[in-house]
Amino acid sequence: MIELFDVTKRFGEEVAVDAISLRVQKGELCVLVGTSGCGKSTTLRMINRLIEHSDGEIHLDGQPVRTFDEVTLRRRIGYVIQNTGLFPHWTVARNIGLVPRLLKWPRAQVRERVETLMALLGLPIEEFAAKYPHQLSGGQAQRVGVARALAADPEILLMDEPFGALDPITREALQHELLDLQARLHKTIVFVTHDMDEALALADRLVVMRQGRIVQQGPPLELLHEPVDDFVASMLGGDARGLKEAALTRVRDRMLPLGPRLLAHERVAVDVPLNQALSLMLWHRVDRLTVVDDDDIPIGELSLRRLVGSKA
Amino acid sequence: MSGDVVRQRHSLAGWWVPLAWLALLLALSLGMGLLEGPLRVIEPDSRDVLYVRASFLALLGQHVMVVGLASLLAVLLGVGGAVAVTRPAGRDFLPLVTQLASIGQTFPPVAVLALAVPALGFGTLPIVVALLLYGLLPIVRNTLAGIQGIDPGVHEAARGMGMTPGQILRQVELPLAAPVILAGVRTSVTINVATAAIGATVGASNLGDPIISGIVNGNTAYVLQGALLIGLLAITVDSAFERLQRRVVRQG
Ligand SMILES: Nc1ncnc2c1ncn2[C@@H]1O[C@H](COP(=O)(O)OP(=O)(O)OP(=O)(O)O)[C@@H](O)[C@H]1O
Ligand SMILES: [Mg+2]
Repeated sequence: MIELFDVTKRFGEEVAVDAISLRVQKGELCVLVGTSGCGKSTTLRMINRLIEHSDGEIHLDGQPVRTFDEVTLRRRIGYVIQNTGLFPHWTVARNIGLVPRLLKWPRAQVRERVETLMALLGLPIEEFAAKYPHQLSGGQAQRVGVARALAADPEILLMDEPFGALDPITREALQHELLDLQARLHKTIVFVTHDMDEALALADRLVVMRQGRIVQQGPPLELLHEPVDDFVASMLGGDARGLKEAALTRVRDRMLPLGPRLLAHERVAVDVPLNQALSLMLWHRVDRLTVVDDDDIPIGELSLRRLVGSKA
Repeated sequence: MSGDVVRQRHSLAGWWVPLAWLALLLALSLGMGLLEGPLRVIEPDSRDVLYVRASFLALLGQHVMVVGLASLLAVLLGVGGAVAVTRPAGRDFLPLVTQLASIGQTFPPVAVLALAVPALGFGTLPIVVALLLYGLLPIVRNTLAGIQGIDPGVHEAARGMGMTPGQILRQVELPLAAPVILAGVRTSVTINVATAAIGATVGASNLGDPIISGIVNGNTAYVLQGALLIGLLAITVDSAFERLQRRVVRQG
């Protein structure tokens, strides 16, 4: 668990982070969003003490971070940054094994761990272990960065725009992988991004920051429905919020069982998000879709009325 | 894998270049007499055209020793100093060190010699000091550039992963800066092979002796013999560094 109590960071005169309080529970994925320069990276780096906070307290599992030796602390916290920061003179395998080696794990154990992580992140060992970072694509390098951060099995993971420089498809693939990993590993994650779709897709708790302060925090749907001010509303997509919300809800949650009516001609898979279902309706100019399971067997139907959640 | 082996062999093969220059250098040091004919053509008026006051091999040995010692000290001081001023504790001294190193190179070695002799006496010591100061700048400048040129993200990651400052220096900064540092050392050593010749004016006997003696006695043949050997030594050293750099770059 990570707790921030009235944490402030001043760089000289400038207040970069202004008395923020935040609690990230174990197993929670907390996403920080906000305009450029609002203090997201600074907040992250105060947690692993790359930057020392000026005021307030930061606790990990109830203990102030200042009471830890900083090197020991950082080895316990996974850290992923945008341009990966992989060591260019080391192979992929050596990069991934960095923290376990710093922790003086026996050699065989380090190798085993590196192999496990490469498998976990879809990096075939024969193909990638001996490669150097400059031989990797952006997405592959990001995976190595994530693997390196996970290597010593840290409870806490800090991720600063880890998928920032990637194309939308690779980015989405990595987001799914992160969610899969999180479902299995239950890390405590603080994740910074500029991409609201990414934030909404990943967040258990969404934190909107502005000029060093937290404007609002809570579950993504709560922020979508009840933004405290226009800033939060516009951060979350303004009038496009309806589509953002639809992206968080699945067809499964709105469909009705098959009724007596004839099956609609156009079909939609049961676990696609509602924004895609809506797009299909728009595309085919229909107001009803047949919902099918993985084997393409009809299991229900979805009407436009149900899709928009109309109460009437 | 097989590609690596081929490249390895390739890089070993490349060492024949500096070795060939070295062989030529040694051959000429031992057998300068073979050039007596051509030298006589250049210097028909003198009775002696071959410098015989000391063996060329001994002079070469002295020359290499002086340059080697000065360069070793310059590397220790230059790399050490540049590393020190890129640490948080030493950062305040960064401008000072950069300036000192530049002054070291603008100050003519002859002037350093002139100043050093009264303090250190005649012989090898003043020339070592002069070469050391003269060779410092390229090493300091390149070490600074090499360390400061490292991607800030790499540095941030190294700290963020929990490496100690010492580990960052040894495992990240120095290996990544090595090619640039080596280029500075190469410049420094090669320049000093030539500059060392002035040591002959203060009684350090080295390959500068035939040149100075040739100038004093108006014997161009002597000058040529010294210059030829110094040139060959410089090429040998330079091509050896070239091979070394390739190795380092490949690992990087
Ligand atoms: N080391 C530093 N020294 C001085 N000022 C800094 C330092 N690091 C950050 N700042 C300032 O603190 C403020 C917050 O910076 P921070 O990097 O946390 O923003 P951010 O929210 O991560 O922005 P971005 O989305 O652009 O990455 C900025 O105004 C920045 O100029
Ligand atoms: Mg940032």
